[in-house]
Amino acid sequence: MRVGKVFRDAFRSLFRKPVTVEYITKPGKMVPVPERFRGRISYDRETCIGCLLCIRVCPGGVILSTEEGKVAFNISRCILCGQCAEVCPKGAIKLSSQFEIVTYNKEELTIK
Amino acid sequence: MDAVVAFLISIPISPLLSLLFEGIDRKLHARMQKRIGPPVLQPFYDLIKLLGKERIIPATASTRIFEIMPMVSTASSLLGASILLSNILSNSNIVGDLILIIYLLAMSSIALIVGGSASGNPYSAIGFSRKISMMIAYEIPMLIAVISMAFGPSPSLAVSSIIEFQVSRGLPLVASRLSMALAAAAFLLCIPAAASVVPFDIPEAKTEIIYGFLIEYGGPYLALAKVSKSVLNFTLTLLASAIFLYIPSLLGEAALLNLGLSLFLCLIVSLLIMFITITVPRTVLARLKVGQALKFYWVLPLTLSFSSIILSAVNL
Amino acid sequence: MIERGIEKEVEVEYTRLRIHFGPVHPALKEPVSLRVFVKGEEVVDVDIVLGHVHRGIESLAEGRNLAQALYLVERICGICSHSHTTCFTQALEEISGIKPSERALYLRTLIFEMERIHSHLLLLGIMAYEVGFDTLFMFTWHVRERILDLFEKITGNRIHHAMNTIGGVRWDLTPEMVKELDACLGEIEKSIKYIHDAFMDKTVEKRTYGLGVLDHSRAIKLCVVGPTARGSGVNIDVRRDHPYAAYNDMKEVFSVILRKDGDVYARTEVRLLEILESINIIRMVLDRLPEGSIRPEENIFRLMRKIQEGEAVSLVEAPRGELLYFVKTDGKGGLRRLKVRTPTFSNLACLKHVLVGHEIADIPVIVASIDPCLSCTNRVTIINRENGELNVVGMDTLRRRVRKKWMQ
Repeated sequence: MRVGKVFRDAFRSLFRKPVTVEYITKPGKMVPVPERFRGRISYDRETCIGCLLCIRVCPGGVILSTEEGKVAFNISRCILCGQCAEVCPKGAIKLSSQFEIVTYNKEELTIK
Repeated sequence: MDAVVAFLISIPISPLLSLLFEGIDRKLHARMQKRIGPPVLQPFYDLIKLLGKERIIPATASTRIFEIMPMVSTASSLLGASILLSNILSNSNIVGDLILIIYLLAMSSIALIVGGSASGNPYSAIGFSRKISMMIAYEIPMLIAVISMAFGPSPSLAVSSIIEFQVSRGLPLVASRLSMALAAAAFLLCIPAAASVVPFDIPEAKTEIIYGFLIEYGGPYLALAKVSKSVLNFTLTLLASAIFLYIPSLLGEAALLNLGLSLFLCLIVSLLIMFITITVPRTVLARLKVGQALKFYWVLPLTLSFSSIILSAVNL
Repeated sequence: MIERGIEKEVEVEYTRLRIHFGPVHPALKEPVSLRVFVKGEEVVDVDIVLGHVHRGIESLAEGRNLAQALYLVERICGICSHSHTTCFTQALEEISGIKPSERALYLRTLIFEMERIHSHLLLLGIMAYEVGFDTLFMFTWHVRERILDLFEKITGNRIHHAMNTIGGVRWDLTPEMVKELDACLGEIEKSIKYIHDAFMDKTVEKRTYGLGVLDHSRAIKLCVVGPTARGSGVNIDVRRDHPYAAYNDMKEVFSVILRKDGDVYARTEVRLLEILESINIIRMVLDRLPEGSIRPEENIFRLMRKIQEGEAVSLVEAPRGELLYFVKTDGKGGLRRLKVRTPTFSNLACLKHVLVGHEIADIPVIVASIDPCLSCTNRVTIINRENGELNVVGMDTLRRRVRKKWMQ
């Protein structure tokens, strides 16, 4: 039969669990992400020594130095390359597993 | 049930049933593609959302026609569905026969494309010409398949008398004669094109001409157009189940006494027909081109329906 | 192309209908505007208008240092992102003489071939969608999802892997990943055979056979590259002709797929069979993966300082064909000039020839068959409507104009 080659597979999947999953944004119920996943930046202000190396590798211009000699992140420009985390000598910057970056609140887009 | 009462009841029931059918169709389609799919009531939500949106009429449109045609289309397909449904519900013929129903359905398609092409968009002009060629392709075999019934065992074109005949024989019409089986086959083959689903959704082909004649419709107009299309699909499947595959006839005379049960069985059958003629083709096939579709319809269904007429003329 | 478009606008022809195919159209995944002139259903002429999503990445990169530019160029393409970074780092390594370790080169090859699988599957899905075969589209993308999950596991992101760094790669394979990759490859191989079979479905065949024929001589004349060229029988493949990364060791495990017909189906089939070749290469990579470090000891700032002033041209075989980078460094860790020639830029011109004479229904199928990746291709050209004068506007001028607008 040259017509309807996918019919058998399609009909069979009627009785099987669908492969798509619902998008749930509640914490704890989200789809698990692998270990190396690069999500929203998390910044430990205490360990930061203000060397500003991260500013020099950031492609998007996310990172700004603040008056206290620390840095602030403008997440809306972040392209999640993870170079800042790589060059940070103290490990103060990490990329968390949080993939929900979109928000209604503009202040949440700045990490200090 | 009194025929007039039945007709009045059918008018609100038929759009509800058809939207439900569309929801089931979408769910099955999604599940065949390994998706979760929308909720079964999604068409109702869509409808409510669309009705609440603003009306936009393109600057190039001829306003009057653009506005009226969705209403005409919905009215005619609703009328067709109600006539059919009241025939099954009351088992008496009040207003019209098969030919009227078929023409009301054709009218509904034509009204939609006329309204769409009044928008002045070149894509809807292409959609218009494609739909006309498609109608030439499928209307002829469909009409002949229905007309062959007049030559057939029950020389009548009223739905109620065809149902009565099937009940009196205790068999659905397809099983009673070879000619009717051929006519049923031709009719079923015409459903995908009349409902314009893949592979015959050429007039609206979303990746080619972006829903063709529907391109400029939005808001309440699109809501009406969608209702009209889903009522049309529902009527086609219900028509096939009532005139060719009236399964309640197997119950004998009880079918006429217990009309509610008969209707329920009829709807189950039409759901099956919808699955076979609308859901499955649009799941497992790719879209054809106008020429290819025309060739298909003028070779297979036309031959089937013509041979059905010839066979029924010689009482086979 | 563009000049002719203006002529047509001026002269009014009533027999032809001009249809704007795009820039927003469900059949196009990215914006390009095809002005199609039709007589009835037949296409008589096509003009291609680009420039809807020009982002000025080349110019943006010139103001940044090399470490920043590396992940900026990755954003040129959302599908073949690894090709862009590889091409860029190769050019930098060429200038500076930093040699990546063997293991790093093998890992680059691995990601490269995984990317090719995912890119080709994406296109196959889109091809199915263009012909109205939604189920095959869903099935194909379901297979692609496996590869994307693996990408997420190995590199941390589904699309923008950020795998490359100057002189190496950033993430290593763990033994569990190797096992999982191996298991996944077998499944994909099976699925590819199934998809190949489904593409032989008669309704699909009717929409793809003998359409959009690009014959051998014209393919050479129009300089098409990649699967589009190989579908027309042009025997080119950067992986074999100018081996980079670890492809020198892979020569015996892959062959260049060629088809003579040059129609839509030939191009589709070339891609289908290339996935199988890619699977072979990945198996070889996993088999032979050498031990060692994956990146240089020095940190990125040292490495940037090592790169002296110089220029280099680098070539890779992206999923869509030959990708070319010209990089000129200033010796202070910055870029003086970056020039990118994406494969679609070479391929797009052939559309004008292959579309003419076909029906409107065939346009999306043929356009999709060259696998256009349009955002990579866009350039800004400003046309003076009155006299048809063309001038290219640089990033500086654009920036100045935007600033002026903001001030007001």
